[in-house]
Amino acid sequence: MKFNSLLENPIYVKAGYILAILLALFLPKIVSDMYYLGIVNYMILYAILCMGLNLILGYTGLLSLGHAAFYGLGGYTTAILITRYGFSFLSCLIISGIVALLFGILLGIPTRKVRGDYFCLLTIAFGEIFRLVAQAWIEFTNGAMGIVGIPIPKIFGWSIRTESDFYYLGLTLLGFTYITLALLVNSKFGRAFIAIREDELAASVMGINTALYKIIVFAIGCFYAGLAGSYLAVYQTTITPSNFRLEESCLMIIMVIVGGMGSLLAPIAGVIVMTIATEYFRGISEYRMLIIGVIMVAVLLFRPQGIFGTSAFKS
Amino acid sequence: MSLLTAKAIGKNFGGVVALDDVSLTVENGEIVGMIGPNGSGKTTFINNLSGLYAPSNGEFIFNEEDITGLAAHVITAKGISRTFQNLRVFPNISVLENVLVGLHCRINVSLWDVYFRFLKTRKAESQAKEKAMAVLEVADLASRKNDLAKNLPYGKQRLLEICRAIVSDPHLLLLDEPCAGMNPVEMDELADFIKVLQKKGITVFVIEHNMRFIMSVAERIIVLANGAKFQEGTPAQIQNDKKVQAIYLGDEGDI
Repeated sequence: MKFNSLLENPIYVKAGYILAILLALFLPKIVSDMYYLGIVNYMILYAILCMGLNLILGYTGLLSLGHAAFYGLGGYTTAILITRYGFSFLSCLIISGIVALLFGILLGIPTRKVRGDYFCLLTIAFGEIFRLVAQAWIEFTNGAMGIVGIPIPKIFGWSIRTESDFYYLGLTLLGFTYITLALLVNSKFGRAFIAIREDELAASVMGINTALYKIIVFAIGCFYAGLAGSYLAVYQTTITPSNFRLEESCLMIIMVIVGGMGSLLAPIAGVIVMTIATEYFRGISEYRMLIIGVIMVAVLLFRPQGIFGTSAFKS
Repeated sequence: MSLLTAKAIGKNFGGVVALDDVSLTVENGEIVGMIGPNGSGKTTFINNLSGLYAPSNGEFIFNEEDITGLAAHVITAKGISRTFQNLRVFPNISVLENVLVGLHCRINVSLWDVYFRFLKTRKAESQAKEKAMAVLEVADLASRKNDLAKNLPYGKQRLLEICRAIVSDPHLLLLDEPCAGMNPVEMDELADFIKVLQKKGITVFVIEHNMRFIMSVAERIIVLANGAKFQEGTPAQIQNDKKVQAIYLGDEGDI
């Protein structure tokens, strides 16, 4: 295929990366319209979420439909700590990631030995439990009204107010996500995760503690969702349970599958395609899900490994 | 002291007795073959030994240590590795990466090292790659290191699976019907390769249906029938054993 040979030519790939990095660094100078920059900020948010999810889904082959819950855990942690206890944003960011990580371990332990469909069902259940608790525990989460008036975050005296400020904050988080994930997947751990996806029984005979590794990979993937949630809280300045519905988890999975599983940056392509599609077709309101469905079916039919992916979806 | 001693191994699946009182020893450096009609419990024996099942009775002593019922990944780390009857290479990753997965338990890198000690991690990775390449050279697969495993011809995939198993320097290698689906030329290559492994100090325990292959490779053969040990001896003794011939001809009709 022509597209594949283009991807394999190192010169084009390198040029593509350099161009993308330059574009990323100077984007707010080029895009002056705040509406468009806002869309880009949401793309960055979803890119962080999807890269974390890709570790779980694309590398390890665990279909988690509860990613929005960990995103929400991060969001609520930051919102509550900032508005009620006056924590600084940076400490909230770290704590949010860790809270999501701990809950990832908590969910990972009972699900470590269940396979495929059952794992998927348990994560859906967890996601729904989280959303219902967030809605019903009014004293703590303010229920369906959500938490409003989250103040402007400050990092070492830099107050983050404008879309452009948030863009650079998001880009820093995305860079952090990419670098830490790259370190992980290029180590023996990354190979172990892929081995579990390819053949769990054979992986265990290769000396891989598959149950433990599934807990680790799940928790690490959730950590990034916690970071993204924290970013969402300060960016939107409000957090409500409806930010973290099952539809959000589904959207993330669609983005990962469309972009491509099992390669670090590929989900970003899915994020860009799906975000642009949803924004472009905003005018036709609920019918846009129809178009998103068509995009997804087309990708799965003609490029089952996703736009830039290396491994095809299998259940 | 033998490398491996199996003492009265039994395995029941519900009411079905798959293995009954199987005792055997494997000495350091030898090539032991195991044969038996279909359903006689050969693969079940290996699955128990490699930790995929826990035996219902009996114990495995390996290197003077009781390894009965340990998890598969622990047993691999102790130096027993295996291949599968139905080929189980990792299809969508490269040949080199397949072998590197086999080295997993020998790469001494923790999660902490991955995030905070880049140099140590990178050094361990490059050493692992060198080691994996050395094994691929021996198996004549080095030129195809970047191919996806699923794109190799069948016989080469079998060979790759063995490479993946031996790269961790096991004391004992378990091969479960390595010849299944191979043509005669590939079988001869495999027989030579197993003898190379023996010279490198790996003890080999091989299950095989193909008599020509097992008779040429094994130094000692154990016959299983209906989950119990039926006979044991040199290839010549087994070949001339009337009782062994009877169970084979009676059950399958082809030797």
